[in-house]
This record gives sequence, C-alpha cells and structure tokens, in this order.
Amino acid sequence: MAAAMTADSGRVWGILLLFVCSSSQSLFNGGDSYKRELTVKLYPNTSSPSPGGELLHVRAVGGNDTLHFLFCSQGAPTLLVVHTNSPSSIVEVNWPQFVARNTSGSLRVEPQSSILYSTAVVFSRLLEYDDENNTAEGTSNFFPPYELQDFSWSPMNLSKPTAVICGSAPHSSNGSLCFQLTVLGSEGRPELWPRLLHSPNSSQVEVWLDGLLPRSNTSRFVLELQAVGGAFPLSKVDVRQFIDDEYTPSIFKVSQWVSSANNGSDILGFVQWKPVAYRRPRPALEDATPCRHSEPQPQTANKTTDSSALIKAFYSDPRAVGMNVSFGIAGEPFYNSTMFLSWTMLVGVGSPPVDSFSPLVIGIMAAGLGIPFVLLLVGGVCVFIMKRRDTSDAAYQPIN
Amino acid sequence: MADFEERRGLLGDENECPAAGGQGAGGASRPMAAICDPSHLLHRVVVLVFMCFLGFGSYFCYDNPAALQTQVIQDLNLNTASFMQLYAWYSWPNVVLCFLGGFLIDRVFGIRLGTIIFSLFVCIGQVIFAAGAWSNHFWLMEVGRFVFGIGGESLAVAQNTYAVNWFKGKELNLVFGLQLSMARLGSTVNMNIMGWVYSKVAVAVGSPGYTTLGISLMIAAGTCVFSLLCALVLAFLDKRAERILHKEQGKTGEVIKLTDVKDFSLALWLIFIICVFYYVAIFPFIGQGQVFFIEKFNFSPAQARAVNSIVYIISAPASPILGFIVDKTGRNVGWVFAAVIATLGAHMMLAFTFWNPWIAMSLLGVSYSLLACALWPMVAFVVPEHQLGTAYGFMQSIQNLGLAVIAIIVGVIVDVRGYLVLEVFFCACICIALMAVVGLYFVDYLKGGGLNQSAAARAKLQKETSTNAETKMQPSMVAHGEHARLAPMSAFGLRNRYLSRLGAQLPDHCSTHLSSLAHRSVLK
Repeated sequence: MAAAMTADSGRVWGILLLFVCSSSQSLFNGGDSYKRELTVKLYPNTSSPSPGGELLHVRAVGGNDTLHFLFCSQGAPTLLVVHTNSPSSIVEVNWPQFVARNTSGSLRVEPQSSILYSTAVVFSRLLEYDDENNTAEGTSNFFPPYELQDFSWSPMNLSKPTAVICGSAPHSSNGSLCFQLTVLGSEGRPELWPRLLHSPNSSQVEVWLDGLLPRSNTSRFVLELQAVGGAFPLSKVDVRQFIDDEYTPSIFKVSQWVSSANNGSDILGFVQWKPVAYRRPRPALEDATPCRHSEPQPQTANKTTDSSALIKAFYSDPRAVGMNVSFGIAGEPFYNSTMFLSWTMLVGVGSPPVDSFSPLVIGIMAAGLGIPFVLLLVGGVCVFIMKRRDTSDAAYQPIN
Repeated sequence: MADFEERRGLLGDENECPAAGGQGAGGASRPMAAICDPSHLLHRVVVLVFMCFLGFGSYFCYDNPAALQTQVIQDLNLNTASFMQLYAWYSWPNVVLCFLGGFLIDRVFGIRLGTIIFSLFVCIGQVIFAAGAWSNHFWLMEVGRFVFGIGGESLAVAQNTYAVNWFKGKELNLVFGLQLSMARLGSTVNMNIMGWVYSKVAVAVGSPGYTTLGISLMIAAGTCVFSLLCALVLAFLDKRAERILHKEQGKTGEVIKLTDVKDFSLALWLIFIICVFYYVAIFPFIGQGQVFFIEKFNFSPAQARAVNSIVYIISAPASPILGFIVDKTGRNVGWVFAAVIATLGAHMMLAFTFWNPWIAMSLLGVSYSLLACALWPMVAFVVPEHQLGTAYGFMQSIQNLGLAVIAIIVGVIVDVRGYLVLEVFFCACICIALMAVVGLYFVDYLKGGGLNQSAAARAKLQKETSTNAETKMQPSMVAHGEHARLAPMSAFGLRNRYLSRLGAQLPDHCSTHLSSLAHRSVLK
C-alpha cells in the first residue's frame, strides 16, 4: 500500500513537474508551435452540387510530411485520414468511378509508396431505444435503426476552418443529423465545450441531433461507428483519468480508441473523446450528460464497404472494427427534454494530444504556496537579525 | 454554521443553592422528587437533554441543500451558482445579527421568550423553504433560507446562554462539548438520511420532481417543530426553576460596543483573517461536495453523501479530545498552523490526485476540529474581557459575510471553470490563512509570545493575574473602558518597577506584571 502510494505520489509530482516544464517551454517558444499549411478542395468542383453527395479534401502540409483529410457524404458519412511522408503527395480522384461505387482505386494518394498510415471512421447507424425503466441499459426495446447511408445530405457548408453537412431521415422532414469537420492544422482549442485540445495531426468531428422526433417519450440514442483500416485498424479503447477539468467542467476522463502495431507501444492512429454529450447548442454545466462506449468488435468489412463510397474507393482489402456510443445514463433526462444532443471527437494520426494545466492554475498554486514560504523565510531572518541586534546593544546589563 | 465555545469565567459561584429546594420566603416546603428539583443533578440532566435537542433541528436543516444537491438542481432546473445562493441567503442576516443576538436576549426578549422566538423563526423558515420547493418558486426558497438564517445563529447564542445559566464550573466544558456533538450529530444524520427520505417519497408520489422535494423538506421541518417543542419545555422548566430557586433569568453577559473595533490589535485582525479564509474553504466545499464526489471519484450518491458527512462525524468526538489536548499543551498558534497545513494538504489531495477521498475528508475533519479548539480561545488571550463580546460578535459577523460572498463565487466557478479551478481557489484561500498564521506567529513573537505559550507557562501567569483580573470582570468596566488603560502609574507602581530592575525582591502581591498582563493587548 505504501509503495503504491509513493508510486502514485511520485507520478503526481512527475506530472506536475512535466506540466510546469511544458508550459514554461511553450511560453519560451512563443509562436514557434508547429503549423501545417491547409488547402481545401471540394469534389465535384462544379457549381451545381451532385445529388449523391460531395467529397471534401483538406491537405495539411507540414515540414516533411502531409496529412490528407477526406470527408465524404456519399452514402454513410466517412472521414478518412491518410498520413504520407512526403510534403508533395496529392490525391487523385476519378469522380465518375467514385460515384459509381463499383471498383476500388478510384481515389488514390500519389505516390502510393509514401503512405505511412491511414485510418477511416464511418458513421454507419443511429439507433434509438425505449428506456421505459430509466436504466439506460441499451440492450432491448430498439426501434428500427436509422441507416445513415439512406439519409439525404445537404451540400457542404464550408467556412474556414470548418465544414458542415446536415441530413434528414428518409421518411421524415423535420429534424436533422449534422456533422461538422474542423481541421486546425496546429495546436488549439475550440471555444465551445468540450474544448478538446487539437494537435497539428488531428481533426475534430462534431455530431449533433437537432429536432429529430423521437419515437417515444423515453427514448435514448446510440451512435454506431466503424473504424476501418488497412493493416492496423483501431482496436481498443483506453479510458484515462485526468485531474484537470478546466476545459470540460466535471469531466475527469478521456477515452481513446487507438491502434497500435502488433500491440507495441507506438500509437499509429486514434479517435479521442471525452465521455460527455451536451443537450443544448451552447451548453451550461447542467446540460452535460454522460455517454458510454461499447467494446470494439471486429466486423465483416463488406457491409462497410457497401455503405460508404470513400471506403470502397480507397481500400481494396479493408478491416473494420465497430463500436457503439450510447448517450445518457440512468436518471438522466431523456432526449425529448431538449430535442438536441451533441458529441465531439478527435480523429488523427500519431499519439493523441495530452491536456495540460492552464497558466492560471499553475500561477495561483505557485503564488499560494510560495508566498507563505517566502514570508516564513523573511520573517525568520528578520527575527534572527533583531535578536542579534538586541543582544549586542542591550543598554542594561543584569547586575547579578 | 459557526461554532465557538465560550470560555469566559462564570459570574460568581454565589448562585449555587443548597440542595432540597423550597428555601426562601413564601415557598411551600414539601420535599420534591429529585427529578423535579431544579437544583438536583437529575433534573439538570433532563434539562440538558432538552437543551441539546434545542439546536438539533436547525443544524439538521442547515445542510438540507447539500444532502439533496442533485435533486434540488435537477428538480428546479438550477445551476450551481443559484444552488449556492441557498447558503448565501442563510449567512446574510447573520452579518448583522451576530451583534444583536446578545442584546436581544438580554434586553429585549429575555432568554426564554428569545429562545422560543428564534426557534419559531427556524421552524417557519424551513416551512417556507419547503413550500417554495413544493410550488416550484425558487425565490420563495431563498426567502425561507433567509428567515431560517435569522433564527439559526441566534438560537445557538441562546443555547449557550441556557448552558451557562444552568451549569457552572467544570460541568460547563462537558455541556458545551455535548451541545457541539449534538449539533454535529444533527448534520450527520441529515446528510445520510435525506436521500433515503427523498427516494421513499418519490416512490409514494410516483416520480421525482419538485413536489417530492417539497414533501421531503416538510418532513425535515418536523425536526424544527421538535426543537420548538424543546424550546417551550425549556422555557417552562426555566421559569419554574426561577420561581423555586429565586434566581434571575440568565443573561449572555455580552456587551457589544462597535467603537471598540478601532482598538483591536494587529494580532486580532490576523486571527479574523485566519477565521474567515479558513471557514470559507470548509463550509461552501461541503455545501456542494456531493456532485464533486460523484463526478470525480465515481461515487454513488449515497457514498458521496456519506463521505461529505465524515467531516461532521469526526468532529463530534474529535472536538472534546482535541480541545483537551490544546488546553493541556497550549501553543495555540502552533496548533492553528498545523491545522491549516493539514487542511491545505487535504484540499491538494482532492484537487491533484484520485486518491480515495475518505482520506482527505477525514484529514479535513480532524484539522477543522483542531482549528476550532485552538483558534477561538486565542481571541480571549488578545482581547480584554470587556471587549470580548464585541470581538466574538465581529468575528462571527465577518465570518458570515465571507461565507455568503464565497458561496456565490463557488457556484459561479463550478459552472464556468469546473472543479479543479474550484479546488485551487480553496487552496488559495487556505494559503491566505496560512500567510496570516505565519504573520500572527511573528507579530506575537515580537510582542513576547503570549499566544504561543505552553499551557504551564500560561497557567502560572493566570495565577498571578487572577486576583487582579477578577475584580475587573464587572460590566461596569465598560464605562471607563477607554480611560482605564491610560491611567498614569502611581508612585508606588513606579517605585516597584525601579526596584524590580535592581533585582530587589518584591512581595508577591506587588508584582508589576499583574497590571501589564491584565491589559496585554495595549501595553506592548
């Protein structure tokens, strides 16, 4: 027990020291943080939007590598991230073949040999279940699921650095499910909660349900995601505890869906999120609702390939792993209390970004602990000096 | 709720009546059963029981919001800032009432009527609070807490006055300890029971909601009704004892003169700072602690309430023990320093680690009890007797002001920046208290170290000054308060001072230390 405690306290002090060093380092480096050059291209580049959906390509060029972010609304919404080790790699799209969805290879990253790693996330289904007993188990009472490949998607709404698509369910006109892609290309934090920390190698996808009519008064939603990769798809979810909830008040955990090469320690790609969903567009603390994830399960890739044009176009032999994210726990208000639900995640390559303390917290702790210490020191020195002075020039000497 | 133990000496033991009452003119001299005899121990034990339960209701209902935090927030659609207003409104009337409590009891109502009136305020306030919840009007709940606050703190003064009136000498420590333990018991029972009460009412009503909350709070108001009954019984017994024993109605003996504030020494202001900044890191934290433990440590609501109440549970037995230790060893400033450091450690543990919060909260409970035992008596060491009432009143007043303001700030911080920043804020408050303790140590050291003396040295000084000090305990001192300490030294005194520097032996009763120590706060 004592060893565990000292190990824990050692780790805590190590973390504190690390954060002090890293924040002071960033203070000294100033504006030297890594930034990628972003260029955006929308397919098809005709004035009238294609009825099937569009493909957005964001090319983020760094010093000696390039990241390609491809976001497609043909079929199920898909985000594909390709990491190449050349700053001049490009993406070539054969649009008619891409739309036809017959063959793979209609989307290629040239040169093929420069591809280091690629990962894709497909948003395949939105499930709804009736939670009569308010237990949020999510195992029964499912209504027929919404297949996102059947949704009709609006044209992409681009406003740097974000792109938004909204879709409505096949047989209903009101309510929408929207996806927003944000690529910053550098370190940063968006303004709205959960204020996930971006790195230059990450992009953020925010999913929200707005006004979709629930099919019962006590229904809750589950979103099904599929991670697709060639050799090493995302395989397991790590849940880490973190003491700093400054940017996402009352959330002390971070979940990371990672892929690693042969169970090694290097993380190749990740999906990172905080286990919270918000019930209002501009949320306050009481609008937060926890969300849970299921264990990732390998799936047959055929269904995924059929549902998403981008997967069909890029991957010839993909492997898919599926995971569900369910919103709400027992006792939380149901979806129909606000008819809004939003959830945010980061998708990227390399190691997931790690949050750190803000300068405010560090400053207050340093001042709070330092000043009494300094006072004690100064006071002790003063008292010592005064005592020396008193004994050295005492006017009256004791007679006896 | 603030707690303090009056350590003033009692005004004379001449009120002690011989046993077997019925003495005095006009009294029928039939012998009474021991339990009916006001001067017999058995009767006084019965009175003690009622005295202890007098405060039970107000302490039980004070922390009702904390015990039902998730339910209050969810049923009434509040945010944390609005929730903490319920605590702020309790403290606002006590900023002013701390000065008036003694005055109202001594001059306006008398102890019996005063206690009944304050109990009525507590009861009515809690009923208004419950009615506000029942009808889903948050402003009415705030009014209820305000009315509850008017009665709550003053009731504590009345309880203390009853105790001082019925028990003397060494019994008084035990009585104060029992009253404090009953208060803490009330808080603990509240924390652990109200959640269960709410769930049972929810089953009966059908669903949780503001109606369920209102009914639960009405049930809690039952304890206030019980306390009101105790107040009525106590009034009857006190009146009966007055008739039988021919003693006067008890008085607090407090005299408040606000102009005395300008004479407070630097040491006393530092003690005030310690008091304010320490308690604002304890009570507002407990007030909203339940959600913190649920969110950060994944506790269930029942576990979160239990760990929240551990501070009170520990303080009930720890206060008498630690009080005994502090009395025996002295060195109050050292104990205060230790308590503040321990609290800082507890808050840092809660902020920066995921260690089991039971450890941090137990540490918090012990250090909170230690500080109460070491800090409040220090006021009596730096303030002359006739200003003690003003000093304690002022201390409680600014403590309540601090609690009211900080309660609101706490709510806003949680809503905007989360719990880590909140804990860092509490650590900062404790650090300010720590700076004040360090300052107090040096200020006191430079003035001769009166506050940090060991108990043996202090007892020796007490003995030397006791004869002199007792004659100055009369309230008539107030009249010449400003002039007494400026009286010029007599020829006799001057000669004695000169002789003592020569090393000549003085008779014991002529020691110049006597007069200087009686006015410690002024001469140095």
